[in-house]
Amino acid sequence: MSRLRFDPGSSTAYRTGDWRRARPIYADRWPPCGAGCPAGEDIQAYLALLQAGREEAAWRKLTEQNPFPAVCGRICPHPCESACNRARVDEAVAIHQVERHLGDLARGRGFAHDRPRAAAAERHVGVVGAGPAGLSCAYQLARVGYRVTIYDAASEPGGTLRWGVPDYRLPKDALLHEVEAILALGVTLRLGVRIGADLSAGELRTRHDAVFTAIGNGLPLVPAEADVTGHGVDSGIAFLRRVNAGERPSLPARVAVIGAGNTAIDVARCARRLGAAEVTIVSPQDRPGHRPGQPAEEMTALPTEIAQAEAEGVRLLLRLGVQRLVRSGEHLDGLQLAYVDHVFDDAGRFRPVLYEGTETFLPADRVIVATGQQPDWSGLDVLQPDPAAGIFAGGDCVGGARTAVAAIGSGHQAAEDVMAYLEGRAPVELGRAATASFDTLHTHYYRRVPRHTSVEADTDERQRDFREVQSGLESVAVAAEAARCLSCGVCMECDNCWHFCPDAAVIKLGPGQRYRFDYEYCKGCGICAAECPTGHIRMEAESGT
Amino acid sequence: MRRQLEGSRAVAEAVRLCRPRVIAAYPITPQTHIVEHLSQMVADGELAAECINTESEFAAASVALGAVAAGARAYTASAAQGLLLMTEVLFNIAGLRLPVVMTCANRAVGAPINIFNDHQDSLSLRDAGWIQLYVESNQEAVDSMIQAYRIAEACELPVMVCMDGFFLTHTFEPVELPEQAQVDAWLPPLRFSRALDPVAPATLGGGSEPDNYLEYRRAQHQALDHAADEIVSTAAAFQSTFGRTHGALIDGYRLDDAERVLITLGSVMGAVRDTVDALRERGERVGALKLRCVRPFPAAGLVHALRGARRVAVLEKAISAGAGGIIAAELRAAMHAAGIALPVDGFVGGLGGRDLTPASIEAVFAASAAAGPAPIGCQFVDVDAADEAARPGE
Amino acid sequence: MDRRDPFRLNALTSGHRACSGCGQAMAARMVGDLIGPDAIFVNATGCLQVFTTHNAQSAWQVPWLHSVFANAAAVASGVEAARRGLPGSERVVVQAGDGGTFDIGLQCLSGMIERGHDALFVCYDNEAYMNTGVQRSGSTPHAARTTTSPPGRLSEGKRHLKKDMLAIVAAHHMPYAATASVAFFPDLKAKVEKAMRLRGPRFLHVFSPCPLGWDHDAAASVQVARLAVETGLFPLVELEYGAVTGVMRLAQRRPVEDYLRLQGRFKHLFKDAHGAAELRHLQALADANIRRYGLLDATTAWDTGEAGRAQRGGRGGYAPAHGAAS
Repeated sequence: MSRLRFDPGSSTAYRTGDWRRARPIYADRWPPCGAGCPAGEDIQAYLALLQAGREEAAWRKLTEQNPFPAVCGRICPHPCESACNRARVDEAVAIHQVERHLGDLARGRGFAHDRPRAAAAERHVGVVGAGPAGLSCAYQLARVGYRVTIYDAASEPGGTLRWGVPDYRLPKDALLHEVEAILALGVTLRLGVRIGADLSAGELRTRHDAVFTAIGNGLPLVPAEADVTGHGVDSGIAFLRRVNAGERPSLPARVAVIGAGNTAIDVARCARRLGAAEVTIVSPQDRPGHRPGQPAEEMTALPTEIAQAEAEGVRLLLRLGVQRLVRSGEHLDGLQLAYVDHVFDDAGRFRPVLYEGTETFLPADRVIVATGQQPDWSGLDVLQPDPAAGIFAGGDCVGGARTAVAAIGSGHQAAEDVMAYLEGRAPVELGRAATASFDTLHTHYYRRVPRHTSVEADTDERQRDFREVQSGLESVAVAAEAARCLSCGVCMECDNCWHFCPDAAVIKLGPGQRYRFDYEYCKGCGICAAECPTGHIRMEAESGT
Repeated sequence: MRRQLEGSRAVAEAVRLCRPRVIAAYPITPQTHIVEHLSQMVADGELAAECINTESEFAAASVALGAVAAGARAYTASAAQGLLLMTEVLFNIAGLRLPVVMTCANRAVGAPINIFNDHQDSLSLRDAGWIQLYVESNQEAVDSMIQAYRIAEACELPVMVCMDGFFLTHTFEPVELPEQAQVDAWLPPLRFSRALDPVAPATLGGGSEPDNYLEYRRAQHQALDHAADEIVSTAAAFQSTFGRTHGALIDGYRLDDAERVLITLGSVMGAVRDTVDALRERGERVGALKLRCVRPFPAAGLVHALRGARRVAVLEKAISAGAGGIIAAELRAAMHAAGIALPVDGFVGGLGGRDLTPASIEAVFAASAAAGPAPIGCQFVDVDAADEAARPGE
Repeated sequence: MDRRDPFRLNALTSGHRACSGCGQAMAARMVGDLIGPDAIFVNATGCLQVFTTHNAQSAWQVPWLHSVFANAAAVASGVEAARRGLPGSERVVVQAGDGGTFDIGLQCLSGMIERGHDALFVCYDNEAYMNTGVQRSGSTPHAARTTTSPPGRLSEGKRHLKKDMLAIVAAHHMPYAATASVAFFPDLKAKVEKAMRLRGPRFLHVFSPCPLGWDHDAAASVQVARLAVETGLFPLVELEYGAVTGVMRLAQRRPVEDYLRLQGRFKHLFKDAHGAAELRHLQALADANIRRYGLLDATTAWDTGEAGRAQRGGRGGYAPAHGAAS
């Protein structure tokens, strides 16, 4: 020391942490994709695993919330992508393609859900309805060791996914595989049992410690105002059920489909595949996105579905309401239509107001009504929801978004509610609001990379049968999509904080272990937070400053 | 081996015998011949060293600093303006306690610019923290150079060997050069404990503050004080191995019963010895004392050596303008501190290469024969009479 | 020794006394760890020396030597000469600020290069004498406020231009001379690694924002550095033997105002017409850089978007911390 020789690193005896007026904190935020997903998938997490090449781990992360990736990857309207922050950088991440890929991969590689390590309880839960809500609920219960029996009146499981969605959108084997993966957890499935008929609801209740009812919307809902019944008129769900049962009914040349949702589109596209030359959808609502600020005035069908239908020759007549069927005796001539002023009244009820004098005639040999569905509660009075009594309901039959993913989320929440009931605790609300908003990101750290799109089958070829229209992405493109994820709010170990810290106060812990702040030395400059691409670091004022 | 060599060549040979690994220099008269000879030796493969021809003396000193800090024996040489351009680095080398060895080919400092000999350059740097040895002859220059490395490396202090420009550097004298094997045995390779080393990554030359700077400087001062013992023991060791001595801190001449003593530095000592002999022939009880080591200042040695003297003259080739002779002032202080009332006459002469002839030296002796207290300040030797008349006391 | 971090040497570690958000500490930490433990560092006087060694404590964990302000390159020459022909693979690195490079250290730097010493000279450029209280240097950009180039009734800040240090260095038949920025770590890493693969004198000019002297938020240091590049005011280029061999294209060109507005040292330029004229001048200087180096049209895959991109798992770390026993 008297010769001006200092020991290496001896400055660490001097703690610069007390200079600090604000401290950085590592804290995950919840990304908007996950918040937008009704099933609450941790999308960021499985995209991250996929980026790391950990495909099976990615599938397991995904299926913590949703056991139907192959299904949802195909048919989900992916609200996750609508919420994706990346849309404001270039285009949303094609999450559904990743989801589909993981679902298909699981099938190809034989991934199986982890069986519970031990039976959680000998409690036995009954689930009414083997649709996505019921299966999701059963899955969540079974994975933690509950006994579950599902009852369904149909001959095969899947509910709307099985009987309402045509093969060209969702091949049956993709659905079946994911259902079987759930059943492989030890879930008992009783098919051909209609509760309220084959087995009384009361009996059901006594057999189980709790009951979850998810019977879906099995009955058509036809607006009372328009008399659209009789010869030549079919119900959309009945039509789809026959087609999905494997029937290939012959159709006349001119088919009119009344409705504005995905069911109407499915009906129309099936009609084209069954030989109808002119298929017209009549809807009082406008195209999605054409009525800014008036979502109720827009069709609920997905834009991509609409586009694919039109590509297949389906014609859309929009902003037109049905006044009456035009018949010659019993023979159906067509529909009398009129232009719509508005569709819903002030109370939000479906009350289309048509302009007098705008009447027009649409010739049709067959009318298929796809204006909505409702649940069939007949014989199920004792299963009206009563959480305090262990009776729960979910899925389409209790309203809501009427999408598969919403049903899956609803089933998951029901499983949580059931478990909380059986364990005598308060249930946890699974939904979480997004906290990783766009303005928490530092987007200059991301390059613009175009979104990968998959191929559609040739429009002429695909109308000849019910083959799948939309292909998946190659695994390279899937990996590239996963890599497009901004990792909103969640550390991606980019090393920025670690590189930039002027004070060696960020300690790297190793791959997957992230970093820690050494507050003994951190001076609180805030560079780490300012340069964190994902907004994972926040600054918090030190107390007393 | 005894050879007739130019002083610069002799010093270069001595440096070669010490096996420096890095030689850094910038040319300045009268230092140039030394570095030219060393460059030729390296070019001829006679000396395995890196010759770094720098863009300034400031850089030359810095290269030597870096080389020693990295564990290599290093050498540099300069004079006058060049030495002063090194000043910042020379202080720094000393503060870092690096055993750099250099030759100062003593030369006057401008303005007016003057390439000839005096001691203004090195004496101006007496406070830089270097050991300063002043040599009388080329043989002493050779021997002191070899001693200098041993002293520097033992004390971790830099050593400046000061030899008179032209009077020594450009003068041919017979010189005895030791054998390489003898020098190798006497001066082992440098083992610098604080050398920069990735295996033991220490920090050298960090900052200091009011609460520790004083202690650093005190330690440096004490190291210089203690270096006196090392200089003495090294001179003795050198003598026992090589059979020659030139004194250690001081070198007295016919002091035994001397009442009047002349103290001087460097090559003029030869003429002083002759003058003493001549005056002794005439019965004057005079002696002389060569101040070989200016730093550390051998105050105790001087007090002891001058215990029999009645009056002392200091003849020096430098001046602290506005104060007078530098060595004279230091000697007066030493005597005063020892409680000895010894009149010390300060003489300044030989500046800018002016010859100090036997007559000049005799005149100094004569002036110091006066009784009563010595005048404060200095008297100039051989000042041009016309100039003195034209501008008395200006 | 401080071994808290298994993934970097922390050649310059905690406990140093740099201001909060110091760009030079950030830069020196990157450079030091990219070079690794097998090197000897010679430092000029300046902020980096002052804030890293204090009160008999050192923040360095590599062999490190400081002599005086002007002579770092010469000291390094001596260190390098001393190591020549010896066993051991350690390299020599010189570190200086802009004062120790552009101004007082220029002569020694020139000598070091001319003599071909195998040493990497790193200039951490914070564009003024910060340690002494923000005085103007030869590197201070035109129109910037410093304590010795104050704006006033007759002044719009520094009257003269920033010295083109890279061109001066490159004119020495220089094997490698490059500019780099803390804002683009992958680029800095590539340049340090390239420099360390080469032999002979090499020069790396690292732009290092100073929150205190430039009067910007401590948290904004990287942003400011990024904008200096994206405006064209500090082009990231490589020169080998005087020829431009590498250019970082600007993925997005930003007006100089974006950069200047973040910093108090340019605040006076936004006050009146005189300031506006200087703003146009600064824009013209940026435009001239863009033309000179082809920053918009260079045919290189390396652009500010690619170099500035973040990536899961990072984009490379530091030299292994071997040879550091204790």
